[in-house]
Amino acid sequence: MGEQFNAAGIGRRGFVASVLATGAVGFGWGVLPGTGSKGAAMAAANASFSPVNLIEIGADGIVTVNVTKSEMGQHVGTAFAQIVCEELEANWTSMRIKHVDSDPKWGLMVTGGSWSINWTFDALSRAGAAGRQSLINAAAKQWGVPAASLTAADGKVTGGGKAASYGELVAAGNVGGAWSEDDLKKLTLKPSNSYKIIGKSVQALDIPLKVNGTAKYGIDFKLPGMLYGKIVLPPTRNGATAKSVDDSAAKGVPGFVQALSLKDPSGKFTGLVVAVADTYWAATRAAALVKVDWDLGPNAKVDDAALIVEAKRLQADPNEGATWVRNGDAEGTLAKSGKVLSAEYTTGLNLHAPMEPTNATAELKDGVWHLYGGNQFQTMSVPLVAAALEVDASKVVLHQFWLGGGFGRRLLGDYFIPAALATKALGRPVKVVYNRTDDMRLDCARSPSWQKLSGAVVDGKVSALTQDVACGWPTNNVAPALLGDDIDKKKKIDVFAINGADVWYSFPNHHVRLLDNKLAEATVPPGYLRSVAPGFTVWALESFIDELAHEAGADPVAFRLAHLDGAGANDKGAQRLAAVLRQAVARSGYGTKKLPEGTSFGVALSQGQERAAATFTACIAEVAVNKKTGKFTINKLTVVYDVGTAISPDGVISQMESATLWGLSLALYETTTIRDGAIAAANFDGYTPTRMSQVPPLDVSYIATGVFPTGTGEPATTVIAPAIGNAIALASGARVRALPITPAKVKAALA
Amino acid sequence: MNITSREKGSNAMITITVNGHQQTLDVPSDMPLLWVLRDVLDLTGTKFGCGQNLCGACTVHKDGKAVRSCQVSIGDAAGSSITTIEGLGAKGEHPVQTAWIKEQVPACGYCQSGQIMNAAAFLSANPDPEDEEIVRAMDGNLCRCSQYVRIQRAVKTAAEIMKTGGAATNG
Ligand code: FES
Ligand code: FES
Repeated sequence: MGEQFNAAGIGRRGFVASVLATGAVGFGWGVLPGTGSKGAAMAAANASFSPVNLIEIGADGIVTVNVTKSEMGQHVGTAFAQIVCEELEANWTSMRIKHVDSDPKWGLMVTGGSWSINWTFDALSRAGAAGRQSLINAAAKQWGVPAASLTAADGKVTGGGKAASYGELVAAGNVGGAWSEDDLKKLTLKPSNSYKIIGKSVQALDIPLKVNGTAKYGIDFKLPGMLYGKIVLPPTRNGATAKSVDDSAAKGVPGFVQALSLKDPSGKFTGLVVAVADTYWAATRAAALVKVDWDLGPNAKVDDAALIVEAKRLQADPNEGATWVRNGDAEGTLAKSGKVLSAEYTTGLNLHAPMEPTNATAELKDGVWHLYGGNQFQTMSVPLVAAALEVDASKVVLHQFWLGGGFGRRLLGDYFIPAALATKALGRPVKVVYNRTDDMRLDCARSPSWQKLSGAVVDGKVSALTQDVACGWPTNNVAPALLGDDIDKKKKIDVFAINGADVWYSFPNHHVRLLDNKLAEATVPPGYLRSVAPGFTVWALESFIDELAHEAGADPVAFRLAHLDGAGANDKGAQRLAAVLRQAVARSGYGTKKLPEGTSFGVALSQGQERAAATFTACIAEVAVNKKTGKFTINKLTVVYDVGTAISPDGVISQMESATLWGLSLALYETTTIRDGAIAAANFDGYTPTRMSQVPPLDVSYIATGVFPTGTGEPATTVIAPAIGNAIALASGARVRALPITPAKVKAALA
Repeated sequence: MNITSREKGSNAMITITVNGHQQTLDVPSDMPLLWVLRDVLDLTGTKFGCGQNLCGACTVHKDGKAVRSCQVSIGDAAGSSITTIEGLGAKGEHPVQTAWIKEQVPACGYCQSGQIMNAAAFLSANPDPEDEEIVRAMDGNLCRCSQYVRIQRAVKTAAEIMKTGGAATNG
């Protein structure tokens, strides 16, 4: 697997950072917050001390962690505080978190990919350790004793019969010291077996605010004199333009101000009409009365079937596509194989539909544009809105809030544009709230995917495998600067549309190709959806592995283990993947528990998001199928992660439950269609995520061996669909290859 | 916010009690209670999720019963007593809120005001529910973060807390 690793091997962090740091998108921001603010640290010594700008220690002993990641349910700030607290030797009750606004000093600001802990663990640990050392040094100076004779614990420095709290030391004004990147690197961090607060299930710091109504989301923000805007939805998702706008009927709505037809220089909106009023309710009523003469644009006839036609055309052309994996000669081997299995797998259009509908407020103050709203990718959203406003990105500040769900929707900052342009047009702050229909129909939805896999088995092993993946590339829409090079260095590739196909199984002949479905991109400009590419690449691959195992007459677990030999570049990963599989086997009763006729276990594995920051994940689904009706029941889902190190065990379990049920939702309940160039679903009746009555018994658990921590928010989402599909096929013979899996599709496959 | 500049005749003065305080409002009578609470009274703990009776994020109590505030016009709410998440427990110490913290229920938290208000009304009518009753009662409240395992567990925990003395002060 050496070759494709060159493309992916630098990992998304290094990759994203290097692209952004080289100024490709107009910023000189580094990967992580710098060690800046040294001067400020000294100047403000009496009030607070900041060894590096990630943390501040106040004269009251309160330690504030500046959280650069967005909080959308993962309790990331709490985990950050735990990591800092551990090395700082602070008292847990003194820890606070602050979600900061966009500022170049924070470096790359993106929350996604289950990267947050994996990327920041080292920096946060070192920030805490630097703080501890500075406090010890200050006490040593104050007491005239060697620093080595003092220890820090529980928010105090003690030694030689003396003790001082961190707050007292800061208040005395002696704490200082500049920490350069090199100094930080030299600090020795604690071994994981001496952790006190890492590995403890603390209460999440954001939860109390979320049970009493005081947590403020972007939608709750208000400015004096602010107006409210409601989108007048264009009839197609992309490409429609407003030829004329007639708001005469809307004038009868009390409080109505004006319907704006706005030009968006960023190109994200082709036809943008916003009804503005003095309340959101009035804006909503007015929007319904605004008459727009729309030019439907070029995509008005596109539907799902057209996208599949285009996908097949691309797949049939050997010159199309970028190469993600090439080991040996897969096509040549298949051409010589006696029996070749081929199968086509699809996923439909999937929506983010965060519970907090997309919304934003904008304000122009002293020449600076202030944007208010939850966001996951400030580094890209700020220049995007700046382009729409035709101002320099340095004139745009994004103020962060709690996010009422993200799931990747808020990685694209397009939803700030209507508010920003309306504010610019009217010279008054405007808040634009998408209603649920706007939120769904203007979503940067996950592109439908169409995949073709072919493979052959010889002596119980895969001799060759090809996987061709066709979909709209989200990175073309969200962050074109982040396109990578394919392994031949000939073509651009969207790693976020193909991750997951670079498996840890050893296949001697393996070829993975990514095809760019431009028609899909033009019709519904795509975005990143929770679990990103592995949400479809793993679905197809892990289903097809079972088809090959069946062909080989092998048990699906044994078949997988036979390919997880850890050879070459798969060393260190394949073994961990095998370990989570064995754990899932033991916990689920696979192979030992007697199941009735029509009930089977199904297996699926994944690396989570990407090889470079893999969270090894296994799912075993136990499913009972009624072979007459196609109806099926999920008896149980067993999910096991290898997270390296769990910062907060209960936090990990919470994320695993959430990711598992998201996977279930995508597997069985969620999809919509593209009809006449528009997204069909309009609300939670047409787009139907999992509800409580649909939750099966879950057994989620993890392995933590003390190695470097990896992400937990997405990996389970990737394995549920293939595990269920595989269980259904084994229980009934019905192989469903199109998500979502429904009783009707099972019944059709039985026939 | 300018809620007094409307055309004469479209508004009537409407009186309701919200979290124990009587309010007289000059708003269109067809304005949903949801938007009156959020945009006029600044009680933003009640959330907008779907606007169409499909998600439960906007759940409040009207005379002690759970209702979806996106579906109740302020005209229809006139004269009633409304309790929102801000008024459920004086200091956020209603047994349901206590249970929600104990079980670490909220993820993004956006649906949770509605979940809590629905659970509180349910438990005041059915203080000792079976699992299936909990699922039936809570099934209409969508949680996009899928915290359902915890929500279900927390409803049971809240019932326990209520049994052992933490009486529900249900509005
Ligand atoms: S907002 Fe009222 S039910 Fe969804
Ligand atoms: S906690 Fe996020 S929607 Fe329920």
